[in-house]
Amino acid sequence: MADLNEGRLDLPRSRARFVAFAVAAALVFSVLGARLFHLQVVSGDEYAAQATRARTVELPISAPRGLIFDRDGRPLAVNVPSWTVKVRPADLPETGTSRILRRISQLTGVDPRVLRARIDAFQGSPYDLVPIERGIAREAALIIGEEADQLPGVVVEVDPIRRYLDDRGRPVGRLLSHVLGYTGPVNLDEFRELADEGYLRDDIIGRAGVEATFEEALRGTYGAELWERDASGRAVKSLRTLDEAVPGKNLMLTLDARMQRVATDALRWGMKAVGVEQGVTIVMNPQNGEILAMVSLPAYDNNQFAGGISAEDYAVYLNDPAKPLRNHAIADIYPPGSTFKLVTGLAALEEGVTTAGRQWPTYGCFQIPGAPRGQCLYDWNRQGFGPLSMVDAFAKSSDTFFYQMAIALGIDAFGQWAQELGFGERSGIALPGEAAGIVASREWARSQGRENVFTGELAQAGIGQNVVAVTPLQLLNAYAALANGGRLMRPMVVRGETDADGTLVTEYEPELIRRLAADRQNLQTMRIGARTVITSGHAYNIRDLRLRGALSGKTGTAEFGTRQRNGTLPFHSWFVAYLPSSAGATDADLAVVTFSYSAVVPGNVSLEVVKYFLQEWYDLDQDLRLDPRDFSLVTAN
Amino acid sequence: MGATALTTTLVDNVRARRWRAFDPQLFLYMGLLIALGVVMGYSAGYAEAGASAGMSQTVKTLIWAAIGLIIFFVAASVDYHWLQTLTLPIYLAVLGLLTLTMFVGTNLFGAQMSITVAGLDFQFSEVSKVLMVAVLASFLAGRRERIGKLSTLLGAAVLMAIPTFLVFRQPDLGTALVFVAILIGMLFMSGASIGWMGIFAGATVAIAPLAVQSLADYQRQRLFCFLDPSADPQGACYQLIQALNAVGSGGLFGQGLTAGRQNQLGFLPVQSTDFIFTVVAEELGFIGSAIVLIIFGLLIWRILAIGWGARDALGMMMAVGLASMLLFQIMVNVGMVIGIMPVTGIPLPFITYGGSSLISLMFGMGILQSVRMHARKPTF
Repeated sequence: MADLNEGRLDLPRSRARFVAFAVAAALVFSVLGARLFHLQVVSGDEYAAQATRARTVELPISAPRGLIFDRDGRPLAVNVPSWTVKVRPADLPETGTSRILRRISQLTGVDPRVLRARIDAFQGSPYDLVPIERGIAREAALIIGEEADQLPGVVVEVDPIRRYLDDRGRPVGRLLSHVLGYTGPVNLDEFRELADEGYLRDDIIGRAGVEATFEEALRGTYGAELWERDASGRAVKSLRTLDEAVPGKNLMLTLDARMQRVATDALRWGMKAVGVEQGVTIVMNPQNGEILAMVSLPAYDNNQFAGGISAEDYAVYLNDPAKPLRNHAIADIYPPGSTFKLVTGLAALEEGVTTAGRQWPTYGCFQIPGAPRGQCLYDWNRQGFGPLSMVDAFAKSSDTFFYQMAIALGIDAFGQWAQELGFGERSGIALPGEAAGIVASREWARSQGRENVFTGELAQAGIGQNVVAVTPLQLLNAYAALANGGRLMRPMVVRGETDADGTLVTEYEPELIRRLAADRQNLQTMRIGARTVITSGHAYNIRDLRLRGALSGKTGTAEFGTRQRNGTLPFHSWFVAYLPSSAGATDADLAVVTFSYSAVVPGNVSLEVVKYFLQEWYDLDQDLRLDPRDFSLVTAN
Repeated sequence: MGATALTTTLVDNVRARRWRAFDPQLFLYMGLLIALGVVMGYSAGYAEAGASAGMSQTVKTLIWAAIGLIIFFVAASVDYHWLQTLTLPIYLAVLGLLTLTMFVGTNLFGAQMSITVAGLDFQFSEVSKVLMVAVLASFLAGRRERIGKLSTLLGAAVLMAIPTFLVFRQPDLGTALVFVAILIGMLFMSGASIGWMGIFAGATVAIAPLAVQSLADYQRQRLFCFLDPSADPQGACYQLIQALNAVGSGGLFGQGLTAGRQNQLGFLPVQSTDFIFTVVAEELGFIGSAIVLIIFGLLIWRILAIGWGARDALGMMMAVGLASMLLFQIMVNVGMVIGIMPVTGIPLPFITYGGSSLISLMFGMGILQSVRMHARKPTF
């Protein structure tokens, strides 16, 4: 400790260097202070704004989807809360994801590989929630909630899900699936296209039926909310609402769910009776084009789709030869058979080929003009009917009468009148997937590499065979135009918009496609013909139904395909009818068509179906249905 | 110096009214900074995992501060000349511990920087900074007659080069730079030849690009962000951009404790350690951060005053060494946060969370109190 007494003698301190150090220190602090002043006070607002921008994110507020009611205000499509399992890929642990997916699989019954595939297919930001299974059971949702600690990255959220109801409010989707359609998750390709319109990666979209065609109205307008997010991108706090969401519009269908039920039951009965796999019944108000019922069997369960249908269930529908996913009423075309004689008959009257009073000979087999001798086209009645006028020929459905009409008309006039009555073009009904149909024409012949159709083809087209194919809706609409005095209406399925209780607030106007360029008298002749079909013609005992009006209509069968072992061809059967107050009146408020695909049992099952439908719908205490073994009592044609 | 002698000295010191010379300002500034560190650490921890986690970190800091206080008073009580006696063991200990850290250290943010003892992480690089000040002070004090010679300068440089290399290899660029800053500051203040220092400075600048080349990619990218933060806003410069936004958001008065949105929402990835000053700036505003800088300024002023008034070269060198270290760390840490210095992992003295740093600094302050209390001849 000798140094203790030496004082400061050894000190090499330099005043200059101490001053220099102090100055340097002062300089450092000044620079730091000045820079802080600049950042915080001078440009503080700028940085704060930049920080806020980087920290906030606009998130959409989804709008509740509009409800759908039937014409009596029965709810048919509603939103119910449903538990959805969602995964935020960014929060899934690097190892252990397969354990998590196995656990979710145990709870939901979905294959873990399917869950993994859904995550991989999503391709959004890793911070987005990926819905991997919708509509899970409440118990499963609660268990996932309890096991949150062991299931990082997995959340269960309550999302609205579509539920489709039948006429009695039960969740039975099959009754109206082809009209209502369904909603489903937006896929990646659609999302890329629709993102600009405000669709979200986990959004749903209308996929079929009214859900698809009225997507914009039903969807509403999504709002936006400003959220503060944390550094990992998670939204943590809602700051304010930028735009309120506008709920989707509630729609009222023109359909009557109870009538749909009656029509479905009748059709199902008839199809079962003769072993037919596909059938259609459509009921319409001819006055305004409102569709009151539209049944296409087999149907599918749109509630399966609303929750996200599994690949297996979907494959079952796709592989069914009866094509349950297709709305046969509008999407498929069939030869109309004798029902098409309306077109040929009206055209013949309009073009002056014949008059209401003029009689034409009929034959057992009609020799095609210009064809080699012996090449004739048979009448369904191989004896022929003798001379017939238009009304009787229509009532008896003489084929040879209408061969002559068609040949006399020529292809152009024939095609033009088919077009006039709405064939060969889409009706424009607000449902997706409508087919246009085929009508024989020079264009069609040219598409086959010929100058014109063969005369035989034209003759057969005149009775709705060969080069004519129509949708059931087109056929019904043509007869509706006949029934209402010549107005071809646009078939409509949505009547208007309602409030939340299903009360109509905005009514959509019926739309006239065109007033037929047909003379009133000629239409009257065809209406009398259609009435005579019921009273003395082909429809047999349906005339005995004690209906409030004068049922008028036309039967039809159309052979197609390959000959059976007994030498007959399978055939489609048709019956189309409308119900005016009296014979020839134009005040019918109900028109119905039934089509059944490929029957091999003799007789016209469609007629029986309509009969049954009318009995049930008008609550008649009659049951005039024939025993299926006796269907052949009614001549099929 | 035997145990008896030590006890005698301690008792002598306590009795000898040396405590009249105790520098209350130094103690006050140190206390204020530690208190601020506790509060800001709480706020930063609050952001990371809610209030309870904030508390546990705060409790840890308080425990460290209590230990540090004991060390401070022990160091203050004892005549600091034991540092001169123990220079060689201290130096060897530094080298040994740094080497040990390199091999068995815990991996922290990609660098091996700490050793876990009894559940508490201990970063020897932090301790080694203060110890190297002592080693260098002892060396320079011993060569006070040949202070202007090149050999002194080279000797000091070699002495410092070995631990610098060891921390650089960890890799801990920050501590390596602090070592260099301590060396330069102490050489300058010891009266070393300005000419030779200039030549060395020139040589250093010349080989700097080589040093930069030897850095890992992420270090190099972070290093140059301050020149143009928009170069890689989502990657290497992300921290810096978020830090600038946070500092700017503080405005004049700040957003209030635990209310800084950038801090609380986790936009500052290492807010409780290297970027703690952003929390100060965002939550306490310009006024708060200016006050913190003023306290730092006053602290350095006091340390220089103690060095000026020291009885001998060892005391003075201790003071200027610690002043150099503190000034450099403040300059680089605060400068980095406000975008005028490259991003390097250098803690803000007293405030950055970390027990080893806090204890080392309090030990250093204790030594300075000892220097202060032994400034004049004891009066018998």
